[in-house]
Amino acid sequence: MELQLGLALPSVPLSKGFDLNSCGYEAKEVLGGFDSILDCNVEKSSEEKKRSFDEAFDVQSVQVPETLPLLVWNQQTEHNYPENSSSSITRSDEEEEEDGIIGWPPIKYQRKKLCHGSLIRDANCWTVGNGESGGGGDGGHSRRSNSTYVKVKMEGVTIARKVDLSLHHSYQTLTHTLVGMFGRCQEDVKAYKLTYQDNDGDWLLAGDVPWGTFIRSVQRLNVLNNGG
Amino acid sequence: MAKSFPEEVLEHVFSFITSDSDRNAVSLVCKSWYEIERWCRKRVFVGNCYAVSPRILTRRFPEVRSVEIKGKPHFADFNLVPEGWGGCVYPWISAMAGAYPWLEEIRLKRMVVSDEALELISTSFCNFKVLVLSSCEGFSTDGLASIAANCRKLRELDLRESEVDDLSGHWLSHFPDTWTSLVSLNIACLGSEVSFSALERLVARSPNLRTLRLNRAVSLEKLHNLLCRAPQLVEFGTGAYSSELRPDVFSNLAGAFSGCKQLKGLSGFWDLVPAYLPAIYLTCSGLTSLNLSYATIQSPDLVKLVSQCRNLQRLWVLDYIEDIGLDALAASCKDLQELRVFPSDPYVVDPNVSLTERGLVAVSEGCPKLQSVLYFCRQMSNAALVAIARNRPNLVCFRLCIIEPRAPDYLTLEPLDAGFGAIVEHCKELRRLSLSGLLTDRVFEYIGTRGRKLEMLSIAFAGDSDLGLHHVLSGCESLRKLEIRDCPFGDKALLANAAKLETMRSLWMSSCSVSFGACKLLGQKLPRLNVEVIDERGSPYSRPESCLVEKLYIYRTVAGPRIDMPPFVWTIDEDAALR
Repeated sequence: MELQLGLALPSVPLSKGFDLNSCGYEAKEVLGGFDSILDCNVEKSSEEKKRSFDEAFDVQSVQVPETLPLLVWNQQTEHNYPENSSSSITRSDEEEEEDGIIGWPPIKYQRKKLCHGSLIRDANCWTVGNGESGGGGDGGHSRRSNSTYVKVKMEGVTIARKVDLSLHHSYQTLTHTLVGMFGRCQEDVKAYKLTYQDNDGDWLLAGDVPWGTFIRSVQRLNVLNNGG
Repeated sequence: MAKSFPEEVLEHVFSFITSDSDRNAVSLVCKSWYEIERWCRKRVFVGNCYAVSPRILTRRFPEVRSVEIKGKPHFADFNLVPEGWGGCVYPWISAMAGAYPWLEEIRLKRMVVSDEALELISTSFCNFKVLVLSSCEGFSTDGLASIAANCRKLRELDLRESEVDDLSGHWLSHFPDTWTSLVSLNIACLGSEVSFSALERLVARSPNLRTLRLNRAVSLEKLHNLLCRAPQLVEFGTGAYSSELRPDVFSNLAGAFSGCKQLKGLSGFWDLVPAYLPAIYLTCSGLTSLNLSYATIQSPDLVKLVSQCRNLQRLWVLDYIEDIGLDALAASCKDLQELRVFPSDPYVVDPNVSLTERGLVAVSEGCPKLQSVLYFCRQMSNAALVAIARNRPNLVCFRLCIIEPRAPDYLTLEPLDAGFGAIVEHCKELRRLSLSGLLTDRVFEYIGTRGRKLEMLSIAFAGDSDLGLHHVLSGCESLRKLEIRDCPFGDKALLANAAKLETMRSLWMSSCSVSFGACKLLGQKLPRLNVEVIDERGSPYSRPESCLVEKLYIYRTVAGPRIDMPPFVWTIDEDAALR
């Protein structure tokens, strides 16, 4: 692949545009910064002061890899996300990283340690499936569509938790686990009812549909006090 | 004019030029100015330790007395840079040990500092005075013991937020009894208890002590012992600020604080017990800086405190302050320049406190000198951002973190493009910006065209396409650092703006859509850039070129490719095509 990298001369007309869907964006001269100690070579510096767009790639002659669509992006597809990015954990084992978004919200380690939420082992990261689907477009897009963790809130408790649904095969075991998670006595399971939010955003009473259907559609859970 | 000023005169003139950028400009005027300047430069700042090599530094500047070096990219603070990536300071210390026997100051940020490096520092520089380790790691209290034992002229030891392997508190006792030159000590990041009597004796024999920041292990009851011995303190950081309420402890503490008439800054306050807050009330009117970001107290106590700090310029606080507390801040602290509000419970969607965009708007209205903001919240609107922008065109640093990724304007459900657009439009001096919330390519068009002085931009979960990145890279004339995570930005924008990358310090992109093929192209064609691919899945050469890279770190350099890369980092260079 031959590419011409011309040295920037201010008199060269800058006619190359960034041709993305013919949006008519003008190329701009990019001014070289000489604010660093890197510029050891005094003679060259006056030539280097202005770097024009020509020094960048001539967009027409770049061979864009064929797998990339040339035009506008619409939905994010799974293909565009790295398959396994949760392995780059630098801090420990306390953090449950498999389903969380690493490093979000952007808080330094020393502060994270002191966060209210860090008292709970698996609340040290922002978890996927935690929010509403962000309002527009593909907000709330799940990075891991096969995640089996869902958020659970109990009525009257500020801090939410996560539960791994893949460990359960029935509503009974799930309810027992949830009740225990929030520190309530297991015998009192009857005092609570479990509701869930499905794919369409509707809140339904858990137990009405077969477990398999439930598993496929549940987005989050709520444990409510059972009236009386 | 063949003969102009004699060198000595020029050198004298240059001695009044202290800023790095001015010095760099001076060195570009002509060859002889370059030579004179390099011989008399005393202070050097290396923004990226891999942009230049220790040898290049020491060869060009033989008389350096003070060095500041930065290592890992900023996103390392949030666990995005894998352990072992690099940023080791030892080669620098080793080179400087030989070249700069008169070195006095070393300031490091996000570097890996070993005990061996610390020991080498302590034995190589007989005039060593200042050691600042900001967000560093890799050393233990043994390394600190070497510094304490050997640096007879040490004035400043500041361990700002570093991660120290805390073997024991015994290291402090290595400071000799004859050592009296301490001006500043910050050990707030250390976990274990240092010998209190050693600390007491140290404070007592340091008449020039101005800054003392203790660690959490120092108990409240003992604070007055230290304060009484150091009434000249200007900045003080407490340890754990809690104890059962005892009148004698309280009155000792209040008395000690009131004796410190020069106190301008307070920090620490772990586990703060409100009952002990009044002990500092007498100092409030003199305070210009208050860091309550570890203090878990509620809004009413915060309001009482902050309303007395009429001269406050900087406040760091948890979101327990709530909108109501920020209203009080806006009413009382007209000199406020910097506000940072941290989240108390960041990992839960639903708000645990009543802190919204209204608090920030109130502060922007009430505090005319506000220029730097870091704000974590759970809801934001375009209207609020527009109001903030109009109220405070003097903003220099604006970092907003809406906790939920891609959260829209909560009133209209629209993207926050217009709001951030207003920020860059009105705040013409803006140098640093962090975005959050739901954002389309449009916001980047505003930033590219209006962010003329923007030097650092942080982007997460934003944008729709390459156009967004293209707007930024083809605009933003002053851009030096760009860090991006989880955005649909890819090859086209990077390749079309490749030259821009040589004008910046660095670009970080993780979980974006850049292919290995594009990285290879950049690395091969732009030899003055190091194109680093960080990928823990194994060699990118073993996959098709169209595969996306996990993380990409591109920076300009005159030192060539790194030689200390761990197995999960690949630097693409001219030879890449041959592999």
